[in-house]
Amino acid sequence: MGTMMTVWKILGLILWLAAVPFCMGLIIMPCLKKKLRTPGTALVSGYILMFTMLELVGIPVVLLAVYNGFTIFIKCFTPVIILSALLGVWAVRRMAKNGYELNFSMTSAIWDTSLEEKIMWILFVGLVGFQLYMAFTRASFDGDDAYYGVHGVIAQQVDTLYRVNPYTGRSAPLDVRHALALFPIWEAYAGSMSGVHATIVSHSVVPLILIPITYILYFRIGKELFEKRKGLLPVFMILIALWQMFGYVSLFTTETFFLTRTWQGKSFAGNFVIPAVIWIFLSMFDPTKEGDGLGRIKYGEVRRASEVYGRPEEKSKNTGLWLMLACLNFAGGASSSLAILLSCLMTAGFGLLFAFREKSFAVLVKAVLTCVPGGIYVLLYVALTHGILVLPA
Amino acid sequence: MFGIFMESLVIFKLYTGLKFLFLLTLFSWIFLLVKEKDSRVRILLVYAPIIIVILFLFPMSRKTFVAIGLDGETYYRILWTIPMGVIAVYGICRLFEKYKKIGLVVGAALIVLCGSFVYQSGYISKAENLYHIPNTVIKICDRIRPDNPDARVSAVMPPELIHFVRQYDASINMPYGREMLVERWGYYNAVYEAMEKTEVVDMENLLEATRADYCQYIVMHQSKQTDKDPAECGLTLVDEIDGYRIYEDPVTAQTVEGWQKYYEDGE
Repeated sequence: MGTMMTVWKILGLILWLAAVPFCMGLIIMPCLKKKLRTPGTALVSGYILMFTMLELVGIPVVLLAVYNGFTIFIKCFTPVIILSALLGVWAVRRMAKNGYELNFSMTSAIWDTSLEEKIMWILFVGLVGFQLYMAFTRASFDGDDAYYGVHGVIAQQVDTLYRVNPYTGRSAPLDVRHALALFPIWEAYAGSMSGVHATIVSHSVVPLILIPITYILYFRIGKELFEKRKGLLPVFMILIALWQMFGYVSLFTTETFFLTRTWQGKSFAGNFVIPAVIWIFLSMFDPTKEGDGLGRIKYGEVRRASEVYGRPEEKSKNTGLWLMLACLNFAGGASSSLAILLSCLMTAGFGLLFAFREKSFAVLVKAVLTCVPGGIYVLLYVALTHGILVLPA
Repeated sequence: MFGIFMESLVIFKLYTGLKFLFLLTLFSWIFLLVKEKDSRVRILLVYAPIIIVILFLFPMSRKTFVAIGLDGETYYRILWTIPMGVIAVYGICRLFEKYKKIGLVVGAALIVLCGSFVYQSGYISKAENLYHIPNTVIKICDRIRPDNPDARVSAVMPPELIHFVRQYDASINMPYGREMLVERWGYYNAVYEAMEKTEVVDMENLLEATRADYCQYIVMHQSKQTDKDPAECGLTLVDEIDGYRIYEDPVTAQTVEGWQKYYEDGE
């Protein structure tokens, strides 16, 4: 009986933390270039979409529901993500009928290589496996867990969202500074749907999915950086994995957060949201075919270069990436309000630089437009923290 | 303004540790500045990072950051937008692109020798359970947890256990939590003053404070010194777990029981 329960719980966690987000990520596949229609991209996109939904559904519940907030949240969020996942499956089936299929180049990039590269990939997988093993078997103390982690436990056990002082357990006014960052509530949700305590989910389970997702992002970044030098990709991945393990030069680096505070929203901000912005911009624009050493290139040359890397109809498939960026600039709020600010500033800044590169004002306009959802979040945050918006007690 | 600039510079130093890994990133960045031809990569890994550093050190940035309501202590996170790992590793890969194996060995050696192994952090220990909190906390919480799932108990906990109690069980309240352990936050709590601010606990003071706060349980390590035996002061020793003595205060327990009965009758 006990073993069966454990199996069901594990299956539940796989369903809510991997299968559902993966299927959600399929929604965006038809809007992406072929090189990006991979299972890894689907999982990354799925997480971006899931956190977008989390914020869209969760924020009104947190702000308006004084009692039974978590129950109401579960009732609203579950149908939304299940329907999104089904929509994703339907979208991919429809895409397949039109001759576009998922691209498994990620696996072929590993298996269709020389023995030397295969060994390097095995080494990389070993390093990631070691990090996962350590994440599961080692406890990493962090004082912030007494705050953020407890909010998840309160959601599960008291059915209240951000209206109890996590340190003492006393009733408190809505914690407006943190109430919009629903990362702990997502962990509590995954736990409740699988019958697992929120603290077990955050400390033992979530790192097992977030660490690989971050490496999927670095893999995608590596694919873009080494588009013309594919043999260097495994070297890049091994060194990145080592960098994460040896990047503990201070308590503040993203690397420190990545392996010691993986389950916290702020780690997600530094190790998912920010690399995702870089990956999206790398993927959106084609590499320079010929430069003058300073990166300057004529407009026409960029266009010719792009034809090398995809069919003509593929060139226009940046819509999915812009949409994903817009979602990311809002979804980052699940981890922290600062994440939104950082991702929007990066988007605007990169947008400006790439607008110069492409000599296209439209790039800047699109970049600014993707910041609109994040901007609305920031306005809401400012209104709440400065008492402009008053909520039910 | 110069003061703010210097503060930001100190934050930058603290962030990077100004250690060899930072130098590795700096050398890679210089290499990419000179050699990188792909303007896409130059924008993201060469131009953007230097712009971010300049903006980070610019005093007005920090003033704006705080003005919009963000915590000044998190200003260092602006530096997260510089992908130092990607810059360093990409630079190494490009430098050794014709000698992959040598590049891998040299790169790995440089990272290992220049960096600091995260698992050697003093904050990491072998997990005792899936919660990743001490077993002692679980045993104590299970011992004092109320039978009624809707009820709450309040317990004074020793500082070394305080972070974990409510990560396990939100039905156990505490008169004070982690906020009292961070001195710069400057909180005051009468129970904390009585329990932790003196080497020898004055039991009368402690009981006055805990009863005012309706704490049914007081958990203290057996090494904790008290001016009187807690049992003589009316507390009941209900258990001793891993060196921690769990005392119940019958006076508060009776008061709380009275409320619960009142609310149950009301329902």
